[in-house]
Amino acid sequence: MLRFIAQRLFAALITIWIATIAVTLLIHLVPGDPVRIMYAGFQTTEAEIEAIRQRLGLDQPVWRQYFMYLGRVLQGDLGHSIVGSQPVLDTLLQRFPATLALTVSALIIAVVVGGTLGFFAAYRRGTVWDFGAMTLAIVGVSMPHFWLGLLLLFLFSMTLGWLPVGGSGWRNLILPALTLGLATGAVIARLTRSAMIDIFDQDFVRTAHAKGLPKTLVLYRHALRSGLVPIVSMLGLQFAYLMGGAIVIENVFAWNGVGRLAIQAVFARDYPLIQGFILFFATVVALVSVIIDVTYALLDPRIRYGT
Amino acid sequence: MSAPAEPLAAEARVAPRRVLWALLRSPSGAVGLAIVLLLIVVALLAPAIAPYDPYRMASGPRLAAPSWDHWMGTDQLGRDVFSRVVYGSRLTLMIGTIAVGISLTAGLLLGLIAGYAGGWPERILMRLVDVVFSFTEIVIALACLAILGVGLINAMIAIGIASIPFYARITHSVVLVEKNKPYFEAAIAAGASHLRLIFLHLLPNVIPTLIVVGTLGVSTAVLAAAGLSFLGLGAQPPQPEWGFMLSSSRDLISRAPWMMIFPGLAIAITVLGFNLLGDGVREVLDPRQRAR
Amino acid sequence: MSGPLLKVRDLSVAFGPVQAVDGLSYHLHAGETLAIVGESGSGKSVSSMALLGLLPQRSARITQGEAIFEGQNLLRMSEREQRRIRGNRIAMIFQEPMTSLTPVLRIGQQLTEALTEHRGLSQRAARDKALEMLRLVDLSDPPRRMLQFPHELSGGMRQRVMIAMAMALEPDILIADEPTTALDVTVQAEILDLMRDVQARFGTAILLITHDMGVVAEMADRVVVMHRGKKVEEGPVKTIFNNPRADYTASLLAAVPRLGARSAEDGPRPIIAQPAQPGEVVLHAEGMCKQFAGRGSLFGRSSGTVAMKDVGFSVRAGETLALVGESGSGKSTSGRAVLRLLEIDSGRIALEGEDMRALSSRSLRKARRAMQMVFQDPFAALNPRISIGRLIAEPMLIHGIAQGSELDDRVAALLRRVGLEPDHMKRFAHEFSGGQRQRICIARALSVGPKLIVADEPTSALDVSVQAQVLELMLELQQTMGLAYLFISHDMAVVEEMAHRVAVMRQGRIVEMGPRRNVLDAPRHPYTGALLAAVPKPDPAALRQKLPRLNLKEIPMGSLVEVAPNHWVAQ
Repeated sequence: MLRFIAQRLFAALITIWIATIAVTLLIHLVPGDPVRIMYAGFQTTEAEIEAIRQRLGLDQPVWRQYFMYLGRVLQGDLGHSIVGSQPVLDTLLQRFPATLALTVSALIIAVVVGGTLGFFAAYRRGTVWDFGAMTLAIVGVSMPHFWLGLLLLFLFSMTLGWLPVGGSGWRNLILPALTLGLATGAVIARLTRSAMIDIFDQDFVRTAHAKGLPKTLVLYRHALRSGLVPIVSMLGLQFAYLMGGAIVIENVFAWNGVGRLAIQAVFARDYPLIQGFILFFATVVALVSVIIDVTYALLDPRIRYGT
Repeated sequence: MSAPAEPLAAEARVAPRRVLWALLRSPSGAVGLAIVLLLIVVALLAPAIAPYDPYRMASGPRLAAPSWDHWMGTDQLGRDVFSRVVYGSRLTLMIGTIAVGISLTAGLLLGLIAGYAGGWPERILMRLVDVVFSFTEIVIALACLAILGVGLINAMIAIGIASIPFYARITHSVVLVEKNKPYFEAAIAAGASHLRLIFLHLLPNVIPTLIVVGTLGVSTAVLAAAGLSFLGLGAQPPQPEWGFMLSSSRDLISRAPWMMIFPGLAIAITVLGFNLLGDGVREVLDPRQRAR
Repeated sequence: MSGPLLKVRDLSVAFGPVQAVDGLSYHLHAGETLAIVGESGSGKSVSSMALLGLLPQRSARITQGEAIFEGQNLLRMSEREQRRIRGNRIAMIFQEPMTSLTPVLRIGQQLTEALTEHRGLSQRAARDKALEMLRLVDLSDPPRRMLQFPHELSGGMRQRVMIAMAMALEPDILIADEPTTALDVTVQAEILDLMRDVQARFGTAILLITHDMGVVAEMADRVVVMHRGKKVEEGPVKTIFNNPRADYTASLLAAVPRLGARSAEDGPRPIIAQPAQPGEVVLHAEGMCKQFAGRGSLFGRSSGTVAMKDVGFSVRAGETLALVGESGSGKSTSGRAVLRLLEIDSGRIALEGEDMRALSSRSLRKARRAMQMVFQDPFAALNPRISIGRLIAEPMLIHGIAQGSELDDRVAALLRRVGLEPDHMKRFAHEFSGGQRQRICIARALSVGPKLIVADEPTSALDVSVQAQVLELMLELQQTMGLAYLFISHDMAVVEEMAHRVAVMRQGRIVEMGPRRNVLDAPRHPYTGALLAAVPKPDPAALRQKLPRLNLKEIPMGSLVEVAPNHWVAQ
């Protein structure tokens, strides 16, 4: 088990490390002069541009730049943003709680709604309940997140007037979390259904029935507990998608998280901020998948007691 | 998106015409096929269907509600929303084709080569693919756009590049399964060359899965492109792109909800169509699924 | 005896339009063992699942019939009543011990839950009973087993747990659905022993579903023979074996290979008048070693499993060397290593004197012409997307043997040679039966005129009647064409029918090798003896003997020494 955790942590570190390389390369792949692009909106002289180039280390060879960047990253320095010249890490950390609140509440909604829907669809496989649940799920999967957001906004804020349109209180969190949660829940419902159907077809479920156990006991003790392993193992990826989805949703609801920041950075061609965001995103996703991997390992004795 | 981890249709080789019939008999396949065909027809005949020029301002009054003259109302510049939605289908199809074309081709090659080669090349290649995959499509697309600059064509390319790891992973997993089947070993034992093994034995057995995944992938690509356009990173004014139309509707929701409802509906129906078609094809090609 | 315990009358089950069981009737008396035998698709398993209401609810339908147990019809009970009987009065064990236990629950919980459910025992009492049952099925250290998870036990141990679980409530009837089919022959013998013990102790009636006539002869009092959903014959086991009335039963019995049937002869049965005699050495292998890497990680590798250790043998033209052993013995690895489908760590392989391991990949491809393979699963061995005509033609195309119409003629001739029609060429693998597919594989192997064919369990996926035909085809081809066979099998009776010489493998090593008569009739290594003793004999008159317990620690596993001419035994 410890070995398993160590392996997962190591894999996460590799991911983050590759992200640092990707992020350094990013600025080099920009066609033209990145400094000029970044400062296109500013009044700058040739000398100033040259100074900025030196300050960012862009006059150095790539490998040199990489090690400089890596060295700074290891000290927790992600550079300064072009717009507003704030330290990138501080800006990200300041915005992150909002994103975290959004994604975690969305994940809870997604798991509760999607998991329940998928489980009962699998249990009532082939009935109208299954058909209804899966129709709902595929419609949910097919709707653009932001459109669902706009519809909810129209319904609850504009028409019914129950919830505010934008802002930063907990009441403002309800709609974005619901939007992201329902959209992801539709995906989770489909995944859960197919995972549970696989489980229901397993020999050991038949054994449990053959023992004459009550249906509910077979369902919860044998099927659901076994089904949790594959279902939880899918959540790591779903969380990554959730984080990705949050970027769009934050913009729909003017929710001041890192996603909104990222889009502004892309528009402003604020490369230090974009680099910082990608690295930050990769780190969060990698660490969350470690947590989720460990959770499912705890559920699966083959890993828990494995070497 | 859920994706089949196992190869499809390994045991059944189905003739193309039979696939079509079986597709029409499965409810999701038939509905999906109908929607996709409708989309193609609309895109091809857009000039004949659209009552107005989608770019012409003041085709009617500004922000007019749906009426006989303007079925889906007009936008803040007085453009006919229905005409814009109709023309938007062309952009949507283009997005789907280009983005999936890029990611499918590159992912297929990558997965095939890694899976066939095995050993160190495979481990490094797939490790890299896994890492990039975990960044998620939207972040990769953002990075690509940060490099390429905003615009619809760049957005398509960005989405195409962003999905390569997904296709590479699927191809790789199918190749691994097929490679371990005795028929592949039988071909080696017969003395087949590398090219023969890859293109005659592996590829035909990978393709059915990729047809399904590619169909479902069109949905993902359309959604992603609409998302980028909504954020202002994709289509630029005055392109009648659905996602972009939605972004201009955001501030007018209470005054002109039709500007928000119809383009969104168009995206949802298109994506639903490709999702249903993908599910339908999977059911047809995978007897195990059909039994469910 | 007061009437039968279970009366099944006119049972019919349909899967959609397919009638899987058609009007099946039989009685089961208290304490007896009734075997239901049949080949795949005979409906034997379906009929027993129907009794407990375990059929897949969406696809299967019981169309008619009744099953009377204690005056009640099992097939017309409510779910609740059925549940009171299931596991309690009628218990069941299944074919796949590896997948039949819930992987995330401890053995203890899986053993006790039926006890608390049906008997209302306290946790403590249920635990005591479970421990007692584990001791009864001869599992070592029961308290520890209770805390283990299924993946920590071997297949044989899991089947013991299944039996303990089924017998804990002392049911009146035990339905055993192919209980030993997935197990190695020595483990099978132990499980069958155990089932007899348990039956004697509790007086349980056993309904044994099997395809294996040897198991039937060892276990059954009475037999029901099924074919395509219908009962073709029923009777006491001796009558069925000695005087079968139905033609189907007779042909089934005739097809069953019997160990010892050829003990008086030196070689395999001659199929043609002048069979080719063993000639020059075609294949010579020595010192082959292979270790599979453990699951690699960046923190180093866990020590791998040894698949082959110092394996060597040779095969002559027109001769069959059989490699026998249980799962994990390394027999398949050896076969694949010989063809260089797998790279070995060390050793020498020579085909007609040429060192195979020294060949470049280009010359290896050319050399493959002389050696071909026939696989266990003939379905998986044929690419589903290529017509069988093209599949058979492929090796000839690769090696530039024929082209155009000559190629077609050759394919047609090959198809005829293996007993198929030339106009089958355009069809695809899924349109053929299992036996036909294996014939296609053989035709493909023959197409390039090989000297050596490695056959890896070529008939173990086939029904016995089909197996007999395929084996005969292989013998005939060898005797006319002088082919060398490396024949890999777990089935001692099949080996006796096919082999000139036999090599017995265990844990990656050859423990005994020699002429077939020596090895099978007078084995010199204790493991060979145990393997032979464990094979169920398809003869109800044969004495059911207690198996000698093999002390695994004391089996000699050293180097081979020649104890008689050409007869080698590990020391």
